[in-house]
Amino acid sequence: MKESLLTTLSRHLLLLVFAAISIYPVLTVLSISLRPGDQLQSTDLSIIPPNWTFAAYRELFTEQPFLRWLGNSLLVSTLVTFTGVVLASIGGYALSRFKFIGRQATMLAILTTQMFPATMLLLPLYILIAKLQLVDTFLGLLVFYVSTALPFCIWQMKGFYDTIPPSLEEAAHIDGCSRATAFWLIILPIAVPGLVITALFSFMTAWSEYIVAAQVLQDRDMFTLPLGIKSFQASMSTQWALYAAASLLVSLPVVVVFLALSRYLVSGMTLGAVKE
Amino acid sequence: MGSQSRGRQSIWTLFALGCLFLLGGCSQNDPRRSVTLWHQMVPRDRVMLDKLVEEFEAAHPEIDVRTLYKETEELRSGFQTAALAGIGPELVYGPSDVLGTFHAMGIVGDMSPWVNSEEAGEFVEGALTYLPDPNDSEHRMLLQVPDRFGNHLALVYNRKFIAEPPATTAEMVDLAVANTLDTDRDGRQDRYGLVWNFVEPFFAIPFLTGYGAWVFDESGQPVPALDSPESVSAYQFILSLQQEHGVVPRNCDYETADSLFKSGKAAMIINGDWSWTDYLETEGIDAAIAPLPVVSATGKPMAPMISPKGYSLNALVSPQAAEDAMQFVQFMTSAESQRKFMELVRILPSRKKLLDDPLIREDPTLAASKEQFDRGRIMPVDIEMRAVWDAMRPPYQTLLGGNTTPAAAARQMQQNALHSIEIIQQESAGTAFLWLWQLAGLAICGSLVFWQRESLLGLLPDMRRQPFAYLLIAPALIVMFATVVFPFFYNVLLSLSNMSLHNFQEWSIVGLRNYLDVFTEAKFFGVLLKTLVWTVVNVVFHVGIGVALAIALNGPIRGKPLYRVLLIIPWAVPAYITALTWRSMFHYDYGAVNLLLGEFLGIPPLNWLGEPGLAFTACIVANVWLGYPFMMVIALGGLQGIPQELYEAARIDGANRWQQFRNVTLPLLKPVLAPAVVLGGIWTFNNLNVIWLVSNGGEPADQTHILVSYVYKAVFSFYRYGYGAALSMVIFVLLLAVSLYSLHRTRATESVYT
Repeated sequence: MKESLLTTLSRHLLLLVFAAISIYPVLTVLSISLRPGDQLQSTDLSIIPPNWTFAAYRELFTEQPFLRWLGNSLLVSTLVTFTGVVLASIGGYALSRFKFIGRQATMLAILTTQMFPATMLLLPLYILIAKLQLVDTFLGLLVFYVSTALPFCIWQMKGFYDTIPPSLEEAAHIDGCSRATAFWLIILPIAVPGLVITALFSFMTAWSEYIVAAQVLQDRDMFTLPLGIKSFQASMSTQWALYAAASLLVSLPVVVVFLALSRYLVSGMTLGAVKE
Repeated sequence: MGSQSRGRQSIWTLFALGCLFLLGGCSQNDPRRSVTLWHQMVPRDRVMLDKLVEEFEAAHPEIDVRTLYKETEELRSGFQTAALAGIGPELVYGPSDVLGTFHAMGIVGDMSPWVNSEEAGEFVEGALTYLPDPNDSEHRMLLQVPDRFGNHLALVYNRKFIAEPPATTAEMVDLAVANTLDTDRDGRQDRYGLVWNFVEPFFAIPFLTGYGAWVFDESGQPVPALDSPESVSAYQFILSLQQEHGVVPRNCDYETADSLFKSGKAAMIINGDWSWTDYLETEGIDAAIAPLPVVSATGKPMAPMISPKGYSLNALVSPQAAEDAMQFVQFMTSAESQRKFMELVRILPSRKKLLDDPLIREDPTLAASKEQFDRGRIMPVDIEMRAVWDAMRPPYQTLLGGNTTPAAAARQMQQNALHSIEIIQQESAGTAFLWLWQLAGLAICGSLVFWQRESLLGLLPDMRRQPFAYLLIAPALIVMFATVVFPFFYNVLLSLSNMSLHNFQEWSIVGLRNYLDVFTEAKFFGVLLKTLVWTVVNVVFHVGIGVALAIALNGPIRGKPLYRVLLIIPWAVPAYITALTWRSMFHYDYGAVNLLLGEFLGIPPLNWLGEPGLAFTACIVANVWLGYPFMMVIALGGLQGIPQELYEAARIDGANRWQQFRNVTLPLLKPVLAPAVVLGGIWTFNNLNVIWLVSNGGEPADQTHILVSYVYKAVFSFYRYGYGAALSMVIFVLLLAVSLYSLHRTRATESVYT
């Protein structure tokens, strides 16, 4: 399919402008991480500061348990992603395809879990963590992160299944497939973009969270990355260079995960031969 | 197919291994008794802390000391919550100003059994913090044993620009004026005479004391005295520094002041003891510390507030744990340990004999620190102090923004303070009609069951009919509600209770009073309106930009992978740093936004962070930036599900691009976008972080609050747990109603194919 030059140009223009807007503030973060002497503000606009230094990055790897935090975060986030994708893909399917009692109520109830301001949930959450003896366990984090990510993921998966015509399964059923086989072999492959979004979202939920983590994890060796980064912050004496350097490094795995997954988002994998 | 299933298998194996690792990590065996310490020491101090902990553990092999750093505010709120849940640390370390609150909550214990009067005499007067025992009027409880004094402000000057520090404020103004320069004559100052955290009332205290004012009156009781004529003169003087003499830059918050001084673009800075070593070691400047000058108009020295910093004991720990913890405290506050800290980080010790140490006389920084300390006043530990800070901040910022007079601001501060104190000190008894509330609860549950009786009765047969459906959704529901049900009902109870500072551990049901307070508070509807604007504007831009970018990316163009990665970067980089960079991009003098607007559109610089409306706009811009990549990703995913045939059919029917978008893209994108839009709206409504970081906690003058930041303030500044819970319930019901309505209208829960 050919497009007119004008259309292509306007696509590029829009993308270029927003790419620039997306990246500029992050370049500022880079600049903070290279600046000696922990300054958040700069009085000029140069990205590479005069007498720039990699000291913060060096310190992260040599004097701070950065790699340990990275390992913890990767472990927790991976587990959350797996659990989230599995539970959301089957739960969303149930909501999309079955007319069971309480379906509407369930969908709404799932949404309501997101409506209460988190600030007020912290106190009872902490009591819960204490009573269930989940302090300093990744299991505690896993449960909380999965339950935070699930509402969106389930709704998202349901939305994706809704765009897939039920006639596909009916055809498979006529060909002798069981419901489970049809789901596994036909529906899931079509819903891949949804699974990718679910995976990304679950990963990000676990990857960047620090408020619940600060309650659950009291042992510095079990810190996840955001908690570790937060420990560079102090009221009026934050180690800005470390803080910025670590924040940038934290986003690298996200970009890598996104790169790995994004071909499924844009591969043009359409429904192909399906005719309504 | 074979390799694919192997790949799947190995993924599952990894997953199972991960789970095992998780569970295995829980069991730890250490025969030692542990003492946990939460502290807020800066990195430099932590080095010495770790060393001393090692020494202590070597001497006491049966005790394991675990230290955990927490930022000041986090430590305070975290300790309150943890103590209430019964799992707090044995010890907390920090400045004494929080002790009044901890004491009222009953979460810090008496340390006097371990410190007899002879030992107490070895500490500088005012170092040990005693408060009356609520159970025994004869006895005073020892609530903190300090190892140092701190938090005092002094004048730091750059010797490259200033040879002798000013002795009076008149000299200070002259020096500042002489050092405020525009060397390259581009209309922007290249050096400022004097900088400090201009908008924070804590930094105004030395000016107040210099003019003879104090936050409380002379009665000895914590009665605020914020509208004295002396404080009005002090504010006048502060205001003149910026407006008349122009020696203080605009938007001068802590980080701006700090950066200006460190980069040699400010001649003097007023800052606290925590910052001095940093300045002394900064290359390119030649910093030195001096006591703050004497106010020329009164002849009185500018006296900062000082706080003893030290260890407090959790009231709710076992006697054995308390014994172990106190051994550690005695070790840490001993003369030897304090001396080591003095040498390494130049602290001001809390023991008398160390104040005469030659080190203090020989080291110029310590000497200046000591001199400033001698003039300083100990910060009151009363609960009222926190109310005073909160009362001062909004009028103070309005005043500095040029929107009120010093006298009016002072009056407003006093009014606010009296009001806040009344709220904080509120005490109330539980209702006598508890049974009535229990009955009402039962009645509500009963009528819900009755209302849905048919569905409930039909549930079991339906489960038998299609067990698959219930089996698929059950695991997700169990995980979600395991973490939500208890907190939710706990909050319902709290919202009907009197939980507050004075009813912290033993609260009781009082009925609907909190709800009444929510709706009668004058500001509620204004803040609600702001929250609605915030939510709608954000969501519209998130979805609009997100969908536009997705459509642009979905066409046949080059460089897609690169664009894709660049465009998700705002989502990938943690918001806790990028929100701060947005704040600096909106800076009046040095921010990129003003510079670009001026360069390309010729718009004169705007005071983004200083004007309420602009500050709110700045928060929205930052949040839009943070949110569009997520919507773009979702829309990209949604676009993949739209069959190309539909577009071809539309083209054959003669539809133009816009019609194709309206009639093909949008309807098919809807089921995928709907959850993101509804949830995005809910998240945005309840998004505390971005507003808090960009506006620095509601600046200017608490004008950028949305409902959740109001909850946050009510709970963490005023300890109104009951009120906060009630406000949260109101938010919950609001969101529920709006979501119900919009789901009904858009039929988002229904499939396009049904």
